[in-house]
Amino acid sequence: MASPIITLTSSDGVDISVDRTVAERSVLIKNMLEDLGDSGEAIPIPNVNEAVLKKVIEWCDHHKNDPPTAGDDDDTRRKTTDIDEWDQKFMQVDQEMLFEVILAANYLDIKALLDVGCKTVANMIKGKSPEEIRKTFNIQNDFTPEEEDQIRRENEWAEDR
Amino acid sequence: MEQERGAEFSTRPNLQLQASTFSTYPEPTLSPSFKVDEGYSDDTRSQSEKELISDNVMMLPDWVLAQSEANRAELAYSLLRSLSTTALAGVVERLNPLLHMDPVVKLPPELTFQIFSYLEPRTLLNATLASRSWRSRILNSGLWRVLYIDEGWRVDTKAIRRYELEHSEALSPQTRKSRPRHSETDLGEPKHKKRVPPEWLNSRSIEGPSASDTNGHTSTPADYEGDHHMTDANDRVSLVSAEGTADVPTATILQLPSLLSPPLKPSLLMRYPDGTARLNWIYLYKQRRRLEANWHHGRYTNFQLPDPSYPEEAHKECVYAIQFEGRWLVSGSRDRTVRVWDLETKRLWHKPLVGHSKSVLCLQFDPSPEEDVIISGSSDRSVIIWSFSTGRKIHKIENAHADSVLNLKFDHRYLVTCSKDRTVKVWNRRYLVPTHEDYPRICKTGGATYPSYIVDLNEIAPSVLEASLANGQIKGLSPFSMLMVVEGHGAAVNAMQLHGDEIVTASGDRTIKVWNIRTGTCVKTLMGHEKGIACVQFDSRRIISGSNDNTVRIYDHISGAEVACLRGHNNLVRTVQAGFGDPPGADEALRQEALEVENAFWKAQQDGENADLGPRALRRAGYRTNTAGSRDPRDIPALGAKIPPGGGGSSWGRIVSGSYDESILIWHKDRDGAWSIGHRLRQADAVANAVRANLSEAARVAVAAQAQQLQAAQVLMTLPVARNPTQNTTPEAADPAPEQNENDAEPAVNDDNSDAPAAPAQQDNTVDRNGEPAPPLDLPLLAPALHPQVLNQAGLPHHINGRPPRPAHNPPTSRVFKVQFDSRKIVCASVDPRIVGWDFACGDEEIEEACPFFQGL
Repeated sequence: MASPIITLTSSDGVDISVDRTVAERSVLIKNMLEDLGDSGEAIPIPNVNEAVLKKVIEWCDHHKNDPPTAGDDDDTRRKTTDIDEWDQKFMQVDQEMLFEVILAANYLDIKALLDVGCKTVANMIKGKSPEEIRKTFNIQNDFTPEEEDQIRRENEWAEDR
Repeated sequence: MEQERGAEFSTRPNLQLQASTFSTYPEPTLSPSFKVDEGYSDDTRSQSEKELISDNVMMLPDWVLAQSEANRAELAYSLLRSLSTTALAGVVERLNPLLHMDPVVKLPPELTFQIFSYLEPRTLLNATLASRSWRSRILNSGLWRVLYIDEGWRVDTKAIRRYELEHSEALSPQTRKSRPRHSETDLGEPKHKKRVPPEWLNSRSIEGPSASDTNGHTSTPADYEGDHHMTDANDRVSLVSAEGTADVPTATILQLPSLLSPPLKPSLLMRYPDGTARLNWIYLYKQRRRLEANWHHGRYTNFQLPDPSYPEEAHKECVYAIQFEGRWLVSGSRDRTVRVWDLETKRLWHKPLVGHSKSVLCLQFDPSPEEDVIISGSSDRSVIIWSFSTGRKIHKIENAHADSVLNLKFDHRYLVTCSKDRTVKVWNRRYLVPTHEDYPRICKTGGATYPSYIVDLNEIAPSVLEASLANGQIKGLSPFSMLMVVEGHGAAVNAMQLHGDEIVTASGDRTIKVWNIRTGTCVKTLMGHEKGIACVQFDSRRIISGSNDNTVRIYDHISGAEVACLRGHNNLVRTVQAGFGDPPGADEALRQEALEVENAFWKAQQDGENADLGPRALRRAGYRTNTAGSRDPRDIPALGAKIPPGGGGSSWGRIVSGSYDESILIWHKDRDGAWSIGHRLRQADAVANAVRANLSEAARVAVAAQAQQLQAAQVLMTLPVARNPTQNTTPEAADPAPEQNENDAEPAVNDDNSDAPAAPAQQDNTVDRNGEPAPPLDLPLLAPALHPQVLNQAGLPHHINGRPPRPAHNPPTSRVFKVQFDSRKIVCASVDPRIVGWDFACGDEEIEEACPFFQGL
């Protein structure tokens, strides 16, 4: 059974055609379609531009057959930042795109994609010194050396074990 | 811009980025952030903007800017290709920062919250040093709540609610009035506004739009609460508390930490501008972490019940049972009394509860106003129900069993007792009619028997039952009627646990059985212990037991598989408590872990490694493998378990076991999740420390003087005594418990079964040494403080870290009967009439401040 094609309009006015089942990975779109019915009209996605929307659709397409995430509340969330291989490759993009994908996943309510995006950023922070974190994200150090020193000493409690 | 921007966009975003920035220059501060409705699609973020502004790039001619992005990209590429490698490298270096952007600027707080929630606390604390905005995002109370709960630590949510309500001004009816007063007194308010660094405010205004446009709805309130306000409140409260406690002049506070927001040190309470108070989870996390570190390193102070200055309040003989909850501890003793203690004052709360005619062997209490009850069981075969608050005897079940009542447990529905008579009995706590769901269901094929007054609901039609109840032919059961007798054990039932609809019993017959409380049928039998079992604990996932085979074992409740065997004691393990620290959603995680281990086992076996269902087979072959939870395929004790070897749980998991070897072991998990001994505690040392810490100087002098006398006397007394050096001569008791409770002869309490080899010549011990059946009970009241170890150490400095050297070997005056621990302390009942405790808050005021909100593992 071929799934019907629907059209999404990106924030920069580009129409993109996509399988309904793929688009419905987005809870936002799914609810919209359920509420409004598929009138055949393009659905505006005012917060996501074409490039990001295409990227998101690429992810949804690859994951269209994933089992529905069975009520995975934060309860079952394991403290793991493991990401499957395809997703890892998928997330190998520049930082702007990465953050835009995260924002889009959040807006479109695609939990699994949001998780992957956030884990990717978390992995970029893991194991890095403050200086390395600053480099990774182009952050200006706005602490005085004294403050840095104070904070370091205050944080020592986490080392004691 | 309409061209093919799909794939290649992602690889070259910054060219586009640069161009669009140029078009908005020279009003960069307004353009990206305020075009809310257009979203973030084409605009750069402020961060890149700042870079560019400071970057001093020359203006491009209009015709270049008029080109499409793709064309500009081509142009730039061609231009770059014309450069020397060195020049190119320089450009790359300058461009490089543009490829990196700050997620804390780019993403709204709720998304950085999620990112941070995947990271370890240590990583996060480290990351607070990246910048002020990182620090303020990371030091978010809600984030640390998630981190706290993920550790498997628990909190007393009621205590937290209570505390927050008590400290919230806005929630009381008078708030309207108190509001203005609050802001009046809140002198810190204007100042701390100033202390918010300007960069931070900038970044706020920048991230505002990105937050709202991604959400579709405005995120300002969440934002506000999640970050900004908390920071303020935090600031203010800590300021107040600093003034209150440390008495630091306000001026200095405002100068130094003023630059850090949130302030350098977290405080317990945060106050929002509307007066609402919230506990700061950063503070809770930090103090719990410090408390756990104290456990790990064995840093504690000792205390004693009663306070050493009130020796007359002590039990007169050894203490078999204790339970504590919150401020209260209840103990039961061979002196036939039950005593209620106030843990704050370490004093007796009311007069000893007298009613049993023999040793009190077991008890449970519930101090909550709804329950207000203590139930105790005795070797006089009776069970007594007391009012907790008044100490009044409410009810007595005479001859509850045919022999000593060894253990009992109750919930709001049932009381369950087990006995040396090999039976378990179930009693109702409240008036019970046959139509009630708690009424027993007769099951003729199970091992249970029911008194004749129990109506068989299978054999009476509901309508008939209704009618009989109505006309009084069938009556409801008054409280504490016996509902059933559960039989099946071949020896004394030494210990039991009640959990939901299941009863778990441990017996001298070396087995553990699980029963259904409604029918009395035996659901399963667990084997493994090589001698009688003295204690058992059950947490719905695992069953933990201690035995006369000197081991502690952990069983998977579902499959009945033994998942760990802990060797460390060299005598009967009389009492055990385990806290696995399961984080939420643990069942699935445990199952996964178990599966992984099992897969590893099959793989190892396939690969021809020496993986056999090891330990048991090996033991038969004479090996003694450590199976304390190792995940090495060669150590796997059983397959099919739903929990991993060792029982699973968080890395903070803890088991405390007490033994007739006079020691208490604290077990923790090593790196591979196997249990190992963290610390060995001795009751006698605790007494010594507690006395040293608490006695007034005068009392200490008095004790020392008495001690010298006693010591001199003992030297004379003990010189000729040759101790039986045989180790572990305990008869292989099928049922270990009765040996200490059977009767007042109490042979087991101080038989000659001390670990004699360790006994050096200074066996200078107390009067009860030989022949005296009872522990040093008939000593004068001060005498408990006179154990030689006290004497030897009275003048020594207090070793907080580690245990003081054990001065001498003692006769079994410290056999441990019962231990209980919570998040901060272990309390121990032993042959010694004094109840002792180890407090791992270790006198640290900050930890102590947080402790009321902590619960165990």
